[in-house]
Amino acid sequence: MNHAPLRAESVRRSVGGFTLMIERFVVEAGQRVAVVGPSGCGKSTALALLALALRPDEGEALALGGTDALALWRAGAGDALAGLRSRTLGFVPQTGALLPFLSLRDNIALPQRIAGRPEPARVDALAARLGIAAVLHRHPAAVSVGQRQRAAIARALSHRPGVVLADEPTASVHPTQADDILALLTEVAEEDGAALVISTHDAPRAVAAGFAVAPGRVDGTADATTFCWPT
Amino acid sequence: MVLAARLALADLLGERLLALCSVLALAAVLAPLLILAGLRAGVVQGLREALLEDPHAREVTTAANRSFDAALLTRLAARPDVLFLAPRTRTLAASLLLERPDEPGRGARAELIPTAAGDPLLPVVPPGSYDGTDGVVLSASIAARLHAGAGDALVGRLARVLDGRRDAVALALTVTAVAPPAAFTREAAFVSLPFAVLVEDFQDGRVGPPDGVAGLPPVSRAEYAGFRLYARRLEDVPALDASLQAEGIEVVSRAGDVAGLLRVDRNLTLLFGLVAGLGGAGFLVSLGAGLWANVERKRMPLAQLRFLGLRAGALRVFPMAQALVLAALGVGVALAAALVGAAVVNRLFAGLLALDRPLCLISPGLAAGAAGLTGVGALLVAAAAGTRAARVEPWEGVSAP
Repeated sequence: MNHAPLRAESVRRSVGGFTLMIERFVVEAGQRVAVVGPSGCGKSTALALLALALRPDEGEALALGGTDALALWRAGAGDALAGLRSRTLGFVPQTGALLPFLSLRDNIALPQRIAGRPEPARVDALAARLGIAAVLHRHPAAVSVGQRQRAAIARALSHRPGVVLADEPTASVHPTQADDILALLTEVAEEDGAALVISTHDAPRAVAAGFAVAPGRVDGTADATTFCWPT
Repeated sequence: MVLAARLALADLLGERLLALCSVLALAAVLAPLLILAGLRAGVVQGLREALLEDPHAREVTTAANRSFDAALLTRLAARPDVLFLAPRTRTLAASLLLERPDEPGRGARAELIPTAAGDPLLPVVPPGSYDGTDGVVLSASIAARLHAGAGDALVGRLARVLDGRRDAVALALTVTAVAPPAAFTREAAFVSLPFAVLVEDFQDGRVGPPDGVAGLPPVSRAEYAGFRLYARRLEDVPALDASLQAEGIEVVSRAGDVAGLLRVDRNLTLLFGLVAGLGGAGFLVSLGAGLWANVERKRMPLAQLRFLGLRAGALRVFPMAQALVLAALGVGVALAAALVGAAVVNRLFAGLLALDRPLCLISPGLAAGAAGLTGVGALLVAAAAGTRAARVEPWEGVSAP
């Protein structure tokens, strides 16, 4: 049976009076989807739920690469969830969020090591592709914000995940760099055939980069947002 | 696990300065405790060795001439806390005029002290080397007076008046060895028990004038005038003394000194226990607080590692590896500082204890104990903090601050 790399149905999480609902979200291999909405509408929370980083309050289905993550959450199987994340998922956080005590090279190689699949040549290839080969030996504090973000992209892709999630990947860089970074992200993900889901407040830029847009539906009182894909 | 430990070390290296602060904070509390423990060990050890060096420290002797059953002596000698027992002959009867054959009339009177193989007073004499021979061991003072040394020939003169007739005997003797000065200060000769008994019997008129002392058969008397015995351990002396007194045997021993030493040991141990207990508790609290704060500070990277797929066990290894390294370095620095401190103390207070013994004694055992305690404490705190850290929500690690 052919599983969609990412599949969620009726997954809900409330955070301080605000409710986020993923009504339905199925992403196929190679697809590019942008979760779009204004700041504070719950895009990041939606991505956190899809990335198995936040426990859903309830849900009908949540599966990554065909594995039932909802059951793991219910069983409190933190280690199994960690393993599932490391095998199937790449994540680009809003701001670098690299480990400050590792060089860029070690940061990028870390998901490979955790997954037990070291592939040094791929680290170099990704770094070259993303234009950070010259600063690989440096620590995050010693490189620019843009270089950090590129390193984060390389880290999200280094272990060849089936799904790459990126939370406002261009929010922290200068607009002139944003298009570059988005283009690199999509290109590299495409080469791997990975499904790519980003959150952004900048729908036109996402569309220009070839993303299908999944807009958040904010309810009348603005205390709940619903995402749905395909729409 | 290995990956987590390597990441932990990389993190520690990345924050060398903070790590150095932790190490110094740890060492600052531990070093004085080590010196204190070293002082206790040094003082007790010093007093103990000074006492042990005195061969009479473990000696218990009868105070006055009395009659003791040979069976009683056998029973005493068999006690587990008794190392050696030699019967004694009557003090007044047991003496002998010793002179050199070439200097007649210029002799010295020697107390005769019966001895036997294994006498703690005579560690220099090979056991049994003069039993059944004409050998005697001279005390250092009489050897000096007679200008006699090992191998020299001596004449032992005995005399008695029996039934109005004077009997005089000259015994040919050989000096087997000279006892160390500490063994016996007065002018004396250590002789085999048959020799001493023969002299006493001659003085008492029980036997006729003997021809010599070589080849005397072993004696089996029913009673002896006294005995001297040696406790197996220094600590046994007070109890041995008390037990003999309780049996009605009046004895002389260093029980008071030994009890004093034991009291000093007990008191110092108690005092050290109190101070070390307070200091140690403070040390563990400071160690724990430092490590706990360290883990709290590491919440972000730990959450991130969790998100990236590290298992909970590996997440616990992270702070534990750091704690172990910090503890090891802290103990190392503390030991180095304490050893320097101990050297200064020993230099400043040189000669306070007898024979230049070190006042502050930091033994490998003490160091190992401190290291072990610190390591275990550090691991426990880090494990607790790590368990807390392992429950961190992975989202914390990647969400924007």
